[in-house]
Amino acid sequence: MGDNAIFRIAGLTKAFGPNAVLRGVGLDLRAGEVTVLMGANGAGKSTLVKVMSGVHRADRGMMMLGDKPFSPATPAEAMRAGVVTVHQNINDGVVGALDVASNLVLDRLNGAGSGFFFNPRKVRREAREVAERMGLGIDLSAEVTDLPLADRQMVAIARAMAHEPQVMILDEPTSSLSSNEAERLFALIERLRARGVAILYISHRMSDIRRLADRIVSLRDGAIVGQFDEKPLDYEGAVNAMLGQNLGLHSIDARAAGAPVFSVRDLRIAPGAKPLSMELGAGEVVAVTGLVGVGKTRLAETLFGIHTPLAGSMRLDGRAYAPKTPASAVRDGVFLVAKDRASTGIVPEFNIYENMSLPFLPRFSNMSVTRRRAERQTAREQIADLKIVCRSERDDLATLSGGNQQKVTVARWLTQPSRLLILDEPFQGVDIAARHDIAAKLRESAGDRATLVFLTELDEALETADRILVMSENTIVGEHRNADVDMDRLLAEVAGQRLEPAGSV
Amino acid sequence: MEISRRLLGKMAAALAGATMLLPAAAGAQDKPAPFDNPGDVEIALVRYLSTGDFFQAYLSGVEKQAEALGVNLRVLDSRQDAALQADMVDQAIALGVDGIIIQHGLTESMKEAAQRAVDAGIKVVAFDVNVENEAIPQIEQSDRDLARLALEQAIADNGEAWTAGYVYVAGIAPLDRRDETWREFKEKYPGIEEVAQFGTLDNPIANSVANQARSVVTANPDIQVMFAPYDEFAKGVKIAVDEAGLSDSIKIYSADVSTADISAMREPGSAWVATAATNPAVVGEVSVRALAMLLAGEEPGASVIVPPTLITQQALNDGDIKNMDDLSAKMPQFAHADVAVPDWMPLPERD
Amino acid sequence: MDSRTADKTPVETPAEALAQPKDGRSLRELAIRYGFLSLLVGLIVFFSLATRGFTSPQAAVFILQSVSITGILALGVTATLVVGGFDLSIGSIATSSMMAAAYVMVVLEQNALVAVLVCLAIGALVGLINGLIICYMRVPDLLATLGMMFLLIGLQRIPTEGRSIATGMTLPDGSTAEGTFSQAFLALGRHRFDLFIENLVPASVVVLIVLAILIWFFLEYTRFGRMMYAVGSNARAAEFAGAPVKAYRIWAYVISGVFASIGGILLAARLGRGDIASGNNLLLDAVAAALIGFAVLGAAKPNAFGTAIGALFVGVLLQGLTMMNVPYYTQDFVKGAVLVIALIFTFALLGRNAR
Repeated sequence: MGDNAIFRIAGLTKAFGPNAVLRGVGLDLRAGEVTVLMGANGAGKSTLVKVMSGVHRADRGMMMLGDKPFSPATPAEAMRAGVVTVHQNINDGVVGALDVASNLVLDRLNGAGSGFFFNPRKVRREAREVAERMGLGIDLSAEVTDLPLADRQMVAIARAMAHEPQVMILDEPTSSLSSNEAERLFALIERLRARGVAILYISHRMSDIRRLADRIVSLRDGAIVGQFDEKPLDYEGAVNAMLGQNLGLHSIDARAAGAPVFSVRDLRIAPGAKPLSMELGAGEVVAVTGLVGVGKTRLAETLFGIHTPLAGSMRLDGRAYAPKTPASAVRDGVFLVAKDRASTGIVPEFNIYENMSLPFLPRFSNMSVTRRRAERQTAREQIADLKIVCRSERDDLATLSGGNQQKVTVARWLTQPSRLLILDEPFQGVDIAARHDIAAKLRESAGDRATLVFLTELDEALETADRILVMSENTIVGEHRNADVDMDRLLAEVAGQRLEPAGSV
Repeated sequence: MEISRRLLGKMAAALAGATMLLPAAAGAQDKPAPFDNPGDVEIALVRYLSTGDFFQAYLSGVEKQAEALGVNLRVLDSRQDAALQADMVDQAIALGVDGIIIQHGLTESMKEAAQRAVDAGIKVVAFDVNVENEAIPQIEQSDRDLARLALEQAIADNGEAWTAGYVYVAGIAPLDRRDETWREFKEKYPGIEEVAQFGTLDNPIANSVANQARSVVTANPDIQVMFAPYDEFAKGVKIAVDEAGLSDSIKIYSADVSTADISAMREPGSAWVATAATNPAVVGEVSVRALAMLLAGEEPGASVIVPPTLITQQALNDGDIKNMDDLSAKMPQFAHADVAVPDWMPLPERD
Repeated sequence: MDSRTADKTPVETPAEALAQPKDGRSLRELAIRYGFLSLLVGLIVFFSLATRGFTSPQAAVFILQSVSITGILALGVTATLVVGGFDLSIGSIATSSMMAAAYVMVVLEQNALVAVLVCLAIGALVGLINGLIICYMRVPDLLATLGMMFLLIGLQRIPTEGRSIATGMTLPDGSTAEGTFSQAFLALGRHRFDLFIENLVPASVVVLIVLAILIWFFLEYTRFGRMMYAVGSNARAAEFAGAPVKAYRIWAYVISGVFASIGGILLAARLGRGDIASGNNLLLDAVAAALIGFAVLGAAKPNAFGTAIGALFVGVLLQGLTMMNVPYYTQDFVKGAVLVIALIFTFALLGRNAR
């Protein structure tokens, strides 16, 4: 175990068209250490991983593995050289239809020099060696589809270990695991560390990071903005670096809440989560922030009737509110601009006005016959209000830019008055100008409804909301009025400090 | 399968009651071995084609003759699966049957299976499939005779010179044999002018042929005779001729018959004037009788031909024939064929 | 005309389209939009010159008649294509409903109304079962409807032990069926309405045209049709917009089943008996018409107007070729070629949209 880095990156840049994603990344990985890479969405994490694992080639800059230059053209080449990657999507790493033993030696079955005939006994023997070395307590003859997610993930990692790698990249390996399952994974990772593997561990989960990190590196806008390796590790500093230094620059005229509109009492949205409560008033815009995977989308979708809460109650305008389906939520005046517009928002074959009228077609029809004139009139108003750039309301949605598509999906829910408007990551993949347009429209139209915006990016929350709630581990852990925000406390809450006092590891 | 077996049981019971009174049954001991003890004889019918009225009727003929003989019948149906049909022959061999009737199939797939059966000492007859084996008699409904009867009637009705439309799809063995006769007639009577040839087996066949025939009669309004040597074709042509309002100027000649065909021919002003047909039930009976002769050590001949009957619209109307039963009752040559009938052979009872 | 696609570019005359230099695709766009319609017109002109009797009201009517049954099936399957599904069982629903009509009248000796109602009920029920299997049992649409297809092919043979149904047939119990096809029922296949010329338009063509207009209006102008398109284009987005996605899917299969059973009724009325048939050729022709419809007016998606034109296209082509005495296997070849060309049209177009 040497002090010298076994893997070095310097000056790495990568652009897709005019869009620079990596702007000179420099990073060292050391043998027998877990280096955690933190970064918000779009910071360039996945591009960096893809360059390291041979999926993409860097435009400029260099990588060194040991004392040799490393520039793999394909993932297979990177793997042979000793850099292996376990991807976030577990099922990409294993073949469900085969048994565990075959999965463990799958790469060898493909490799050069392997015979034409499949020898089950040899496969079983090699697989047993791999499994024993890794302490993998899994039945080798089980079908992978029958295994729980954590075991599949372990199989993927154990298989990657069969290459005797010097560097292993783990891209959010716990994102779909429970904490018990994650613990087994951590034990495996510790084994790898003890064997002298340099590990790059990408995660948003603060509990993972506390448990494993030897060092933390923060990535923001395609560059490394902070390295933390002095013990005890400065977790808040890392989060702060990852979220950016320009926090608090956007001042907003925080309004006070009007009469209460919507309240939540002791709601449990996931197994093992602490109950959460909140109250939203008329005319205020409330942001819910927190890292990826802390349950923001789960909460948004629970309020909209997609998931049923495990416990607790909700009230809307003083009456009990318990939506069974999105349709019943909409009937009650609760609207959701869902996350990831491509899969849950836009109808690509529809034009702008058809997309906007989608949830309220009964109101745009007469005896079930659609009134296109009314649809188009409403669409034109929204286009003007939200400054949607298009030729006319009859443009196909596919011809619009991402920001304008997002404006259309937001406008869809503004055509009719709502009691509670929920927006889940409305600024995802949206440029700054469009973001300002949407935020301004939200604040301006807030009227007597309650507005709840879920945002991972803290600065977006600061420039949009009157009040900010912080989520961690599927519950709400803090509340701030957007006038006198205690940034230290806020960041500590985002980093999960309040739940787990420092030093608990 | 189960339904037909139950039906078979019912028929067996009914026939058992009836045959008590019949001299043929009473004289069972006069029959040659092994039919002196027919309950020990088992025969198998291995089918390639089974759906449709023709095949249903054929099966009923086989069943009736088997009952008359008192032998056990086992029906194996491959539903147009050539490989399965060959397997079924092997299955029949394994079951130790005494005789096998191969009904349709492909020469390529059945030839070896048939030989294996012969090698196993089993008597085999084949209906409408050539298994290229001298030990196996061929049962045939003569397609050439069918076409000849219908065309002779066309000549009788229309003279020796007319314009014709012809419905034909190549590659179907019975249609190909009927086609040979059509060619001979065109050579023999140069006055026959074929102005259009069409045809399809897209199902429902009658509907698809009707669409085609509509175009043909529109493009060729001078057609006098439609030769449609398959009743589904004829039915389609008749629909088209009716729809085009040309029933008076076109006459349809066909082959095969069914109850539905009889009512179509007898519709007022129907253009379908004649068809030539073999009774499929009779073919079924003849198949069993030929096999029985083999089992009794007699020689039915290398090829057993069941002669067809000409059925004209005139005859149907004169006899007020409404369905196949009437047809059998009123046209004895259709109900019974004097083929493969040695003295000892018990015949099914006629109703 | 399909006003939805038409109104996206409301004033696009050829001159204007050519005058748009900025994307330089105008000519190609024009070809995509009007290519298939021009091809249809060209075919009609060609057959008029090449054959006797192609250009007459009677010929026009019988081309429509020849495609009326597959056309109706195609309109039904269009509804399932719109919600992103597929229905392989329509051919066998049609032939089963033909058998049911014959059975009700010939064996059960009921009247035409009962026969029609029984057929429609069968179509709706089968469609409902298809929809439930697909939506609630999560069986993929192709597999569910394939299974239903086999089931129906078998089922239609059970009551008569595989025999076709006609008056005077012998029933499994040995008795003779005495019922007949009622004249009112046969009129559905044979009655002709006067239109300028006496006895010109057959009832089946009228049914086709009425159903085509109905389903076109339903899909293009009602909110249900709009939601069905939304479900087919992005089911999650439709669900998040509060649409009962499963209900729309199920309704689409019910529509498809009912249309197929109407096709079966017309088939029975035309043939005048119940024929054992799988209906697979009906299925294939109907699907071909619906897919050709994607290319009409550059819609690049299932649409009722395109389906109707697609069916007409196949009809013109087949009847014209038959008149020219072209053998049947050439016609299959030509049908296939048209389908391939239409699909290339469609997907070249989709590629452009996905840009």
